[in-house]
Amino acid sequence: MKIRTWSHFNSQAFSSMMLNSWMTIASIGTVAVTMIIFGIFMLVASNLTTMAGNLESQVEMSVYLQDEITSEEVSVLGQQLMELDGVASVVYVSKEEGLQRLKEWYGENNDFLAGLEMDNPLRNAFELRTEQPEQVLDVAPIIETYNGVAEVVYGRGVVEQLFSLTRLVRLIAIGLMLGLASAATFIIANTIRITVFARRREINIMKYVGATDWFIRWPFVIEGMVLGFIGSLISAGLVSWLYGLAVTNLQVSMPFLPLVKPWPVLLVMSGWLLLLGMTIGVLGSALSLRRFLKV
Amino acid sequence: MLELYAITKIYPNGVVALRDIDLKVDRGEFAFLVGPSGAGKSTLTKLILAEEKPTKGQVIVNNQVVNTLKPRAIPFLRRQIGMVFQDFRLMPNWTVEENVSFAMKVIEAPHRLIRKRVPEVLELVGLAGKSSHMPTQLSGGEQQRVALARAIVNKPYLLLADEPTGNLDPDTSWGIMRLLQDINAQGTTILMATHAKNIVDTMRRRVIALDGGRIVRDEQGGAYGHED
Repeated sequence: MKIRTWSHFNSQAFSSMMLNSWMTIASIGTVAVTMIIFGIFMLVASNLTTMAGNLESQVEMSVYLQDEITSEEVSVLGQQLMELDGVASVVYVSKEEGLQRLKEWYGENNDFLAGLEMDNPLRNAFELRTEQPEQVLDVAPIIETYNGVAEVVYGRGVVEQLFSLTRLVRLIAIGLMLGLASAATFIIANTIRITVFARRREINIMKYVGATDWFIRWPFVIEGMVLGFIGSLISAGLVSWLYGLAVTNLQVSMPFLPLVKPWPVLLVMSGWLLLLGMTIGVLGSALSLRRFLKV
Repeated sequence: MLELYAITKIYPNGVVALRDIDLKVDRGEFAFLVGPSGAGKSTLTKLILAEEKPTKGQVIVNNQVVNTLKPRAIPFLRRQIGMVFQDFRLMPNWTVEENVSFAMKVIEAPHRLIRKRVPEVLELVGLAGKSSHMPTQLSGGEQQRVALARAIVNKPYLLLADEPTGNLDPDTSWGIMRLLQDINAQGTTILMATHAKNIVDTMRRRVIALDGGRIVRDEQGGAYGHED
């Protein structure tokens, strides 16, 4: 298509939007409402994912040592653990420190721990974190074979369940978003179909004059794109504002539930909303035109 | 210009619209297509425009086989054929000038050429002063002139007119017919489907009569029908 043809398409698209102003407002409203739901959903999903990530990063492993090994053997073992693939940090916790922690944990009710300093039943241990939480599962069986290791504990079972739970949360989020997107496309397609239906005679005339299908389609596609853009711009603004409010309010009332910081996530969300809104607008108009081009 | 060979058209619902039609219209001819409603006139037009495909036979327009054209190629066939309808089919929200120039925008003609050609054609059809009028501000005859201007603005080889005077009073009809004669005199082949007996009888041009999907008469300088 030549440049002059594009300017014709643009003026067609805009004059059509002005002419059917109520239809235009209805379509923009539909896109905006859908995208608001979508945006809220994206933010909830992103917060859930971050929360799941936080839980994952708290996964850690304790390596309990046999009582009879010497301090040299302990430092050799510490070195070995450090050099293992995927291990991020190793901290030595002697059994005295372990007992101290236990006392702190029970606070005032630690009477039953009294006198244990003499005959400490705890074991010396290394506390270990991996770079990726999942690597705990790979590293544990290797460590169990090392000399002087009595036991490796990492919440077996619980950890595996946590991983499959976060995976499930992500899958459900993606599935719901896909469903919402296709539902929105059909709503837009139906709204635009009314405009197209009103102009089916014009389309018919264009076909007789020898217009190609794309020549007929482009003004509608541009119209859909602009409707989608305006609608999602409104929704991006509104959702961003609401999220900002939520973050500041929750910081005060529920500090233990930290929301993802607004700065990068809102920009990413707005980008997605604009892209999706425009795609939905274009898809909608293309879908609604299909039937009328068969002449 | 227009060649039909052994054309049969049966619609999916079983209606036989055309039976074994052979027809040839030469370049520069002016031919009337007459016959009762349902005789097959509209089907014939649709076959020429590749709107329908023949069940059997071959349609050739300007040396191109039409019945095997790919959908992509059909718009380019239609650009060589001007089309005029009984109900004018103008864009209601566009001015006269926009309605005519649209046919040139479709073929992506340069602005310069559009600005030159559109006034020329409007002058030719006698609407020079009404280029910024809307179709609703025009009489039926004037609207049909706009439609004619749109049909010939790209200098088609063939002009198909489907009852172009069907909605017009006799005087206005004659104005349109004189215009068609002028267009024909400049070399455009014209095929006009019509029920207007007095026009056909007066013009004494080639008459192709269809009835029940067959050509029952084809004569030069003929009349609409023989009174029994």
